[in-house]
Amino acid sequence: MSLPSDSTPSKAFCNKESYFDIDDILATQERVPVVFQVPALNLGYLDSSSETNNIEAGAAMELPFWMAKALSTRGKHMVSVDLPNSYKESQREILGAEAGVVNLHKWGPYFYKFGMCLLCFEHPESTDIAKSLLQTLQNRFRGIMDSAQNASYEEIASVTKKLDVLEMSIFRVGQKSIESQLQWEKRQIEKLTVSKVIVNHRKRKRIHIENDQ
Amino acid sequence: MFGLKAIELIKEAKRSQEGTLPPYNEEGIRKVLEEMRALFEQNQAEVNEALEGDQDLFVGIQIRHVALEQNKRCILAYLNHRLETIKQLRWELGSVLPQDVKQNLTTPEAQWFSKYSKGLAKYMRSLGNQGGVDLTLDVRPPKTLHIQVRCLEDHGEFETQDGNIILLKKNSQHFLLRSECEHLIRQGILEHIIT
Amino acid sequence: MYVRDLKTDFYDRIQQQRLLILVSLDVDSLCACKILQSLFQCDQVLHTIIPVTGKQSLERAYLENSEGVKFVLLLNCGATFDIIETLRPDDGVVFFICDNHLPVHLNSIFNQVQVQILGKEDDTENLPEFTDLFRDSDDEEDEEEVRRPVFNRTHHITLQDDSGDDSDSSQPKRKKFDEKSLMKKRDKRLWEQKRRELVFQYEEFSKYGTSVAFVMYELAWKMSKDTNDLLWLAIVGITEQYVNGKVERDRYMEGLQFLQGHVSRLNHWSEDEENTLSVDCLRISFETELRLCLFRHWSLFESLCHSQYTACKFKVWTLKGKKRLHEFLAEMGLPLVQCKQKYSSMEVHLRDSIKEMMTKFIEKYGIHEHDLFLPSFLASYGYKNRFCASDVVRVCATLLESMEKDVTPSDSFFRALDVLNRKCTSVMEVGLEQAKLQQKAIVTQVQSFLDMNQIISAGPFLYALVQEGTPDGKYFSNPLCLVRLARFTLEAYCAMSKNKRVRNLPLVIGASLDSDLGVMLVAGIPPISDSKCINCFGKAFEQAASSTNSRVNQDSFDSHVMELKTEDRSKFFDALISLLH
Repeated sequence: MSLPSDSTPSKAFCNKESYFDIDDILATQERVPVVFQVPALNLGYLDSSSETNNIEAGAAMELPFWMAKALSTRGKHMVSVDLPNSYKESQREILGAEAGVVNLHKWGPYFYKFGMCLLCFEHPESTDIAKSLLQTLQNRFRGIMDSAQNASYEEIASVTKKLDVLEMSIFRVGQKSIESQLQWEKRQIEKLTVSKVIVNHRKRKRIHIENDQ
Repeated sequence: MFGLKAIELIKEAKRSQEGTLPPYNEEGIRKVLEEMRALFEQNQAEVNEALEGDQDLFVGIQIRHVALEQNKRCILAYLNHRLETIKQLRWELGSVLPQDVKQNLTTPEAQWFSKYSKGLAKYMRSLGNQGGVDLTLDVRPPKTLHIQVRCLEDHGEFETQDGNIILLKKNSQHFLLRSECEHLIRQGILEHIIT
Repeated sequence: MYVRDLKTDFYDRIQQQRLLILVSLDVDSLCACKILQSLFQCDQVLHTIIPVTGKQSLERAYLENSEGVKFVLLLNCGATFDIIETLRPDDGVVFFICDNHLPVHLNSIFNQVQVQILGKEDDTENLPEFTDLFRDSDDEEDEEEVRRPVFNRTHHITLQDDSGDDSDSSQPKRKKFDEKSLMKKRDKRLWEQKRRELVFQYEEFSKYGTSVAFVMYELAWKMSKDTNDLLWLAIVGITEQYVNGKVERDRYMEGLQFLQGHVSRLNHWSEDEENTLSVDCLRISFETELRLCLFRHWSLFESLCHSQYTACKFKVWTLKGKKRLHEFLAEMGLPLVQCKQKYSSMEVHLRDSIKEMMTKFIEKYGIHEHDLFLPSFLASYGYKNRFCASDVVRVCATLLESMEKDVTPSDSFFRALDVLNRKCTSVMEVGLEQAKLQQKAIVTQVQSFLDMNQIISAGPFLYALVQEGTPDGKYFSNPLCLVRLARFTLEAYCAMSKNKRVRNLPLVIGASLDSDLGVMLVAGIPPISDSKCINCFGKAFEQAASSTNSRVNQDSFDSHVMELKTEDRSKFFDALISLLH
């Protein structure tokens, strides 16, 4: 039983995602390299290289996206933002050459989502990043769909460890649909099953009991 | 960096599998609130200073302010995530939660659950001409009115709609009205047998 | 009372009520249960199914589940004892008994109201006349106070021999030396004596009647609700009776012929080229089947070594026997490599010609075609599922007596019920492996009986005891498996023994059931020469136990299987010997 998950009042935050969206919070937690244009007083403890009580102008450090965004957009230029490594041109070239073999999970579990967030900095390369993201997903999609349909015969882990979160959800949907089809063929689809809640809950309880022993 | 403790809460919510409700992380929430209080107090002091003329403080104030906002967002998202899960429990398991699920709810959450449950029940009663419609039943289109079920654990006596009393004991198989046993199947007490 | 018309007197009656079904743990009743389930599903008859392991478990199951129940159906249990006396039900409760155990208890046969027997009346032999069992009140008009065996409140007839005492107590009221009364007394004594004899004659031997799956299939057929799936269950039911020696070959062939008609009726259109069936549909074909256990799912060689008939004929446990088996295979031109690999991987042309070649060469080895081949049926569905009826029986029986840890008999019951559901191929695979293990354990045990000379002649019967601590001994604490071991052992012993007389001897076999409690399981089977499949051990065990005060538990529905306190073994066996002499 799935309920509409977007029933909460949404507040424009990043790319119009829901204010409560867990994935959005995690994606915007990814870090971007910045250089402080102005000093920030009394925050020296955030910068490990700083020897004073302050973050000096010109200090380079990595900030979570949400903070970098607040300090650099909407006419504020307290920091200048650079691109994270995974989105630099050299990496984009790798993706352009053969996107299928790249371990995107390593490049950032929220590769696409975070990439889209980065566009708000209006970096000169933004257009290229956007194109590259789209192209990458297009190139990889076929492989993902293919493995999702046949994953019951393959080692799933070896496939999924290369996928970013968005791809993973596509993979799951693919798997679920093939599973439902098989069930339908075997006329199992009408079978009422134990609620996932209970199944997961019991699993957790069993682990607890085992740990206690 | 600010907001790291809050992100831990979010990760915990993400980790919890679909539909399960881990115990409320009181310790985590407390730590985030502490961080927020410290940020707020320092900002208040610096805002006062800044108003007296020290313009350079604004960058720091700005940073702390977004950190406060971020922490707030994380806590609210954490609570909201739990609430959505609890809502789902009502649809999956019915108005009476199994004891081991129930103990992971905080008191306000339990109160919210019973209010939601009442509201839903009232709405369902108002549907149709008489008696209402149970919207939580027949999530999958039923093929037959009656189904074969096998009892997976000792559940005790069960009264059917026609007043019969059936003993649901482990390893007995029954042929019952589908609508009567759907919730018990979801709770894992009965297994639906397809022949 | 025997039900005349299953549909009107049974099926139509139970429509409106929730039915309690108590099922014993054997393959035949499982099949019947499945047939009924499918009928009840069509007609939406509410019911509850509870597996029962023995009489005590039957009583408990009834007590727990009887609330509000008006109709109870007993599958392969409840016929051999007085069900009303045992369960003491309320007046309105009606028991439908469908049980292949014979003889049916006399009280059940003559109870017109509360006991309805579903089965073939002609199965019963030596049935005494009603008047020989129960005296009518007219005979004893003037014996006012005599409590005659009459219908009591629950329309139930008591069979107790208490009328003798009663007439004593009523004597003072009558004139002494009344000639008429003396005559009456004498009459009565004679009548009672005759009755005892008749009852004893009737109950002396236990045997098996028509398969209950077969009965249920007939019911389905009469209501035009028969399908291939139900037919297959009926086939499995009658096959179980034959392969476990419960009925003789003629009876099996009778049933087979009846079912063959249905098989051709329900399967003819699979040959129709225009309306081909989907591969997933069940197809049943008549087949003269090799009596080699599980050979389609094993290797031919292993199967030859582990099948009762071939193993005994070749005496595979001797060196010479092994050689002869190899010779046999060589003569047929079957390379050993091929025989020892999985049957499914054998070369197709060899596989196809096995039966033909065997027919050609078996005579030289003293094997009769009649014994090696069995007319039977084969079920196929999907691309790779092909099962012969006797293999399904074996797998199902093995699952019923699962050796896995923490598996209760009722868990096993439902596992075995699932295996009859042809969608559960995974359960089937598990079952096949377990069945092979069980068969291997049986052969090993037979070999060790023979090697250690543990089959001992006690005079009127042979006996063998599975030694405690035998590695696979735990298999034989299950009744079905123990009886299979007994049959294998007896045949092997007869094959090995030079003495022709052993063919006329029955066998009693014992195995430890629970060494902590000091309890063993004992089973008796009729001799090889017996062709009627009648078993005298039920009554013999009962009498031997009561004459020696041995502590036994005849809880099983099969009276020839019982539990015995290990300490009482020797006195019990002594009594059994003198009894059967």
